[in-house]
Amino acid sequence: MSIRDLIREALRSLESNRGRSLLTILGIVIGIAAVIAMTSLIGGVRNSLISGLGLNAARTVQISCSYPMDTDDVADIARLMPEYEALEGSAYGYTQAQGSNCTVDANIRGADSAYLEMTGEVKLAEGRMFTSAEEQAAARVIILDKSGVQAFFGTPDAQVVGKSIRLGSHDYQIVGVDEKMPASSTGTENVYISVYTPLQTCLDDFSMGYPYLSTVTGLAREGTDMDAIVETTMQQVAKVMGIDEENIADNVYVYSMKSTVDTMSGFMNSFSLIMGAVAGISLLVGGIGIMNMMLTNVTERIREIGVRRALGATRRDITLQFLMESAVVCVAGGILGTVIGYLLSWGLSAIASALGLLGSMGMTTPGATATLTPQISPEAIAAAVGLSIAIGLIFGWYPARRAAKLDPVECLRSL
Amino acid sequence: MTPVIEMQGIHRIFESEAGLAHILHGIDFRVEAGEFVAIIGPSGSGKSTLMNILGCLDTPTAGTYRLSGLNVAELTDDELAEVRAHEIGFVFQSFNLLPRLSVLENVMLPLAYTDCPRHERERRAVHALHAVALDVGHFDHRVNELSGGQMQRVAIARALVNDPAIILADEPTGNLDSHTGALVMQTFHRLKDAGKTIVLITHDAHVAAEADRMVTIRDGRIYHGDAPYDEVPEVVMAAADTRQKEATR
Repeated sequence: MSIRDLIREALRSLESNRGRSLLTILGIVIGIAAVIAMTSLIGGVRNSLISGLGLNAARTVQISCSYPMDTDDVADIARLMPEYEALEGSAYGYTQAQGSNCTVDANIRGADSAYLEMTGEVKLAEGRMFTSAEEQAAARVIILDKSGVQAFFGTPDAQVVGKSIRLGSHDYQIVGVDEKMPASSTGTENVYISVYTPLQTCLDDFSMGYPYLSTVTGLAREGTDMDAIVETTMQQVAKVMGIDEENIADNVYVYSMKSTVDTMSGFMNSFSLIMGAVAGISLLVGGIGIMNMMLTNVTERIREIGVRRALGATRRDITLQFLMESAVVCVAGGILGTVIGYLLSWGLSAIASALGLLGSMGMTTPGATATLTPQISPEAIAAAVGLSIAIGLIFGWYPARRAAKLDPVECLRSL
Repeated sequence: MTPVIEMQGIHRIFESEAGLAHILHGIDFRVEAGEFVAIIGPSGSGKSTLMNILGCLDTPTAGTYRLSGLNVAELTDDELAEVRAHEIGFVFQSFNLLPRLSVLENVMLPLAYTDCPRHERERRAVHALHAVALDVGHFDHRVNELSGGQMQRVAIARALVNDPAIILADEPTGNLDSHTGALVMQTFHRLKDAGKTIVLITHDAHVAAEADRMVTIRDGRIYHGDAPYDEVPEVVMAAADTRQKEATR
């Protein structure tokens, strides 16, 4: 019998026993749904983590020192360490401003475009990053977040690129808008916003005479040994800052994000393993149900088996027929389970987002809205369908062979 | 000319916990191409056992069975299935049509076990249904929507569709009333006139009388009008006895 004939026969058999087939594949549906929901959610969590930490999180190094560091220090370290693709500093400032109908508390973040791109801290909704000329000239240009747009212009969707706002004693031109819209302190007269300026602009206008950097961040080149670069960076920072060897550990702190990423990955892998075990048990139970249904089918259709053998079916034909029925039932269960699993992952992610679980796990950038988007890959779908077929073949094998070994004469005699 | 069926010295012995059951005793049986032969015998005479051996569903304990020149005893299980698919058309007493399939699909079923392409299967099935004079309007019906006589004609069409060397009919009118049975026998006559070789097994003398030749089976022996062959080769009994002893060890 051809594959097409086998599939046709299998679908016909399914259709004639729809209710029983549906009940039988419940175990498969639940198992596959659990696997799909788990992989979708973990994919979404992983993406949120990477998004929250920045695209380059695994290659990022944070540097701090007991002694204040300025831009010249960072430039010296960068010259000594070609292992870094980028080494940038940032500064913090603060000011208050008058919005359209409220007082605005503005957290000023002074950082050049290289820093912002390295860390992924800013995701532009419109406009552009600072130019080199603006950074070198300490130009009074800013990137405003959406809450700032709302505070100054009444609505977060206002077209503000090219317009100016007053911060402190100067006007600043808006060159870009960050897509983040952190939850404001509603119900009060004050609104908290984030404003990005070029590093030197922040140091000149908002540091209140303190020209030192708040953070120094480096992006290691691809393939760099992160443990080694941490060690080397400590040595070079000490050298630039004039710190003795014996005092390095107490005064220089270099931290790689790789360990954070590795820890989170380890946690997710453990979680995947546990969920996989649970799903595996469900699939095992489902497979046993499939075997039970197929054995019942064989018993009910014993005469049909005899007729088919009389008409020229070989033992192999009978085996393949029942195996195909088992596989088709399981594939149907796998597809249904995939759809349900995907819907389940959306439901669970909505609940997680509503409960603020992502923010509490530190998987968002400061002030960002914590949402989780399930990620289902074509590979996961293919694996689910493949697993379903495998279950159908494994648990359908015994009933199929039993059917094939029946004596056709005895089959034809049965009532 | 080579006969379509040639049986010589066929014995069939069944082994069970109760002992040996010697069902067929030295059957000699021969059918030429185009013959319509009826095998008649009472219940328990060995008709069904003989039918199963003729249809390659069972193998004899001893003796030679040649079907269209092929020595059936030398064939493997898959080869026997291929013989059934190409050389034999079965017509059963209880029709044995598959209720999930339509009339046309039932008739096409034997061809699914051959290399016949699907479009050709449908053409041949339609041709076979025309040969048994079944109305076209019934082709898409489920078989349980048909009368007994119609179902048996569908079963005959299914037996014809692979253009077999022989048609084996086991009590084809057994579940039909006399009028419908007569219609079915008319169908067999038409097939015979078309050159088909038909072996029909029945307990009904009237049905058997319609065949060209009648052969009687009683107590596992064929009567052609001569004395029955009732000598059992010693080697057959010894082999069966040895198997029985090994089974009980």
